Amino acid sequence: MKVTILQENLAHGLGIVSRAVSPRSTLPVLSNVLLATDEGRLRLSATNLELGITCWIGARIEEDGSTTVPSRTFSDLVNTLPGEQVKLSLDTSTQTLNVRCGSSNTDIKCIDAQEFPPLPVPEMDGIIQLNVVDFKEMIQQVAFAASTDEARPVLMGVLMTVEGDQLTMAAADGFRLSVRKATLSSPAAEPVSIVVPARALTELARVAGDGDEMVTMSIPKGRGQVIFRVKDIELVSQLIDGSFPDYNQIIPRSHKSRTLVSTAALLKACKQAEIFAREGSNVARLDIKAANGEMEPSELEISAQSEETGSNETIVEASVDGIGLLIAFNVKFMREMLEVVKSPNVALETTAPNAPGVIRPVGDEDFIHVIMPMHLG
Amino acid sequence: MPRKILHLDLDAFFCAVEEQRDPGLRGRPFAVGGRPEQRGVVSSCSYAARQFGVRSAMPTARALRLCPSLVVVPARHRAYSEASRQVMERLYQLTPLVEQISIDEAFMDVSDLPDDPEQLARRLQARIRDELDLPCSLGVAANKLAAKIANDVGKKAAQSSGPPYAITVIPPGTEAGFLAPLPAEMLWGVGPKTAARLADLGIRTIGDIAAWPAEDLIHRFGEHGRELALRAQAQDDRPIVTEHEIKSISQETTFARDIGSDKVVRDTLQALASKVSTRLRESNLAGVTIKIKIRWPDFTTLTRQVTLPHPTDQESVLIKTSLDLLEKVRHSGQAVRLIGVGVSGLGPPIRQLSLWDHDEEKSRLLQEAIDSLKEKYGEQVIQKGKQKS
Repeated sequence: MKVTILQENLAHGLGIVSRAVSPRSTLPVLSNVLLATDEGRLRLSATNLELGITCWIGARIEEDGSTTVPSRTFSDLVNTLPGEQVKLSLDTSTQTLNVRCGSSNTDIKCIDAQEFPPLPVPEMDGIIQLNVVDFKEMIQQVAFAASTDEARPVLMGVLMTVEGDQLTMAAADGFRLSVRKATLSSPAAEPVSIVVPARALTELARVAGDGDEMVTMSIPKGRGQVIFRVKDIELVSQLIDGSFPDYNQIIPRSHKSRTLVSTAALLKACKQAEIFAREGSNVARLDIKAANGEMEPSELEISAQSEETGSNETIVEASVDGIGLLIAFNVKFMREMLEVVKSPNVALETTAPNAPGVIRPVGDEDFIHVIMPMHLG
Repeated sequence: MPRKILHLDLDAFFCAVEEQRDPGLRGRPFAVGGRPEQRGVVSSCSYAARQFGVRSAMPTARALRLCPSLVVVPARHRAYSEASRQVMERLYQLTPLVEQISIDEAFMDVSDLPDDPEQLARRLQARIRDELDLPCSLGVAANKLAAKIANDVGKKAAQSSGPPYAITVIPPGTEAGFLAPLPAEMLWGVGPKTAARLADLGIRTIGDIAAWPAEDLIHRFGEHGRELALRAQAQDDRPIVTEHEIKSISQETTFARDIGSDKVVRDTLQALASKVSTRLRESNLAGVTIKIKIRWPDFTTLTRQVTLPHPTDQESVLIKTSLDLLEKVRHSGQAVRLIGVGVSGLGPPIRQLSLWDHDEEKSRLLQEAIDSLKEKYGEQVIQKGKQKS
């Protein structure tokens, strides 16, 4: 293999694929990045067997070939090289990669590309397409609500369903639920229901860029995998087995109180409360005060206290429709939810101190978030 | 210098709060509790209701048979917590040495105040009545044990149809004489089972226990016997424990001989974990770090701990976690000299409710039911089936 490539492009490509490298794997080749010439370009791939990322970058190919290079060593080196042409040449007999750039000359010991696990090739029929910006926003609004508890693997995933032209993503860690819908530019040929690891989607959102491109998604039959492709990047993820809880049953159908507040004001209040709540159980009290008369204002008081650090109270102007209520939430859940709400106002629907609270951005029917309160004991 | 300890108990507390809401209830037989058709029980009953034989923890259906005119009011725990908070606030204004034992009961150590403790008790009782419209009774003595028993005796002696408003003082030095004629069951740590064993020996009063040779009590009842002997002589030097002082709650036991049986070791750890969880709930606390301690026959001792994602006060969680920890340090058949379990990282039992895992809430309700049965009828009345291993 003999390849010449721009340092900037190589560094960019390595930055994308290196997130799928598993540095402490028992399989040494998984700590490496695959370099392979591929129809006039250089292909970089990394996988931890659950998640695989591939990136194609422009290069001048003098001689085809492939190898796998230790990710950390190679990335650290490339990041320090001057912004010039980098010449890569492989000695296949010793699996040594020579890297020349400017006055620098490096030899890196590699592992034969034969040992690298094969990555699947996407099937181009039955694909689903969505605008990158929309797709990233969906992931951002949903993936954070997935669980990190390995005891319930299915909850570490995001349920993606497609019915006609409706795409829905939902994640729930047992205490909160986030659901976001979007309309596809063209309807899917057949309905889809898969659980994708939240980590894979977060990585996809990270590497996908901001342009006008489309994300394509394909689910090769019978392989338990999903493949996403954006421009020159491909991400393959294992799907999570198991049945996702029926989240529609969790979303309350009615409420006794609807509190309308400014998203920014509530977010600020929650951030302040979190400073004091984080010492303890992350609990913040929300005192929803309904107006007593026509002239009385209604308001929402957010408070938190800590034995060690002190206490904080913030009053947020609110329009309360229904009963007053004192309810406690994990303020981190509140903050994380408010950070992804795009509309200037949100409605918080509540019924009782031990019943789920529902948050709906005002004027955005596509996003809904449910948080279970905390019991104060 | 003898200490000056006050024990305060709010009289028919839930009922007193309900009377504030609806003054029409005053003087009438009524109870706070669950509805009879839902197999509810009486949480608190008015003094007028007590004259019909109605008692707390009695099934509401039975209370209604005893007193058909009984008005049953649903419980409003938030109102009671708020009223309790206001009472405790006034105790703290007297002294920071307040040990709240339950929603309606607390000890205070007023040794450092120059005032006569009986006068302090009267002023406190008047203040709580005038400012909060709540009746309470107080016991005054040189230690917690005597103050509490004094209060129990004083409240029982008041046989009116209204709140007792009792103040009962045991002057220092006369404690043992005060306790002597009282039935043995009034002593802490004497449940129905111990009382029956004492009765077999012809011991019926606290004075009988005090007169019995301490060595024989220790011989018959072990460590518990030693405590009985001390308590019967009104000896109790336990300090007032303010909640800030509780950093951890633990239980351990040393086996009489080294134990190699997996079943015995596991059962013992399970029983200790269960005791710790009971103490957590009694103190209205939950802990996040669970630790086991194990000592081998050669006296080497090791501890293993785990921090849970959420604080717990639940027996099932404590048992499962401590058994899992045991599994990691001990191989089957390995002999054990001492075993213990403790919980730290204590705080109020705040918990995140679950969107769909309602089993936890069910097991919590079960735990609450078991706790209230044990409180009423003693430790032995009910046991959970042993966890399958």
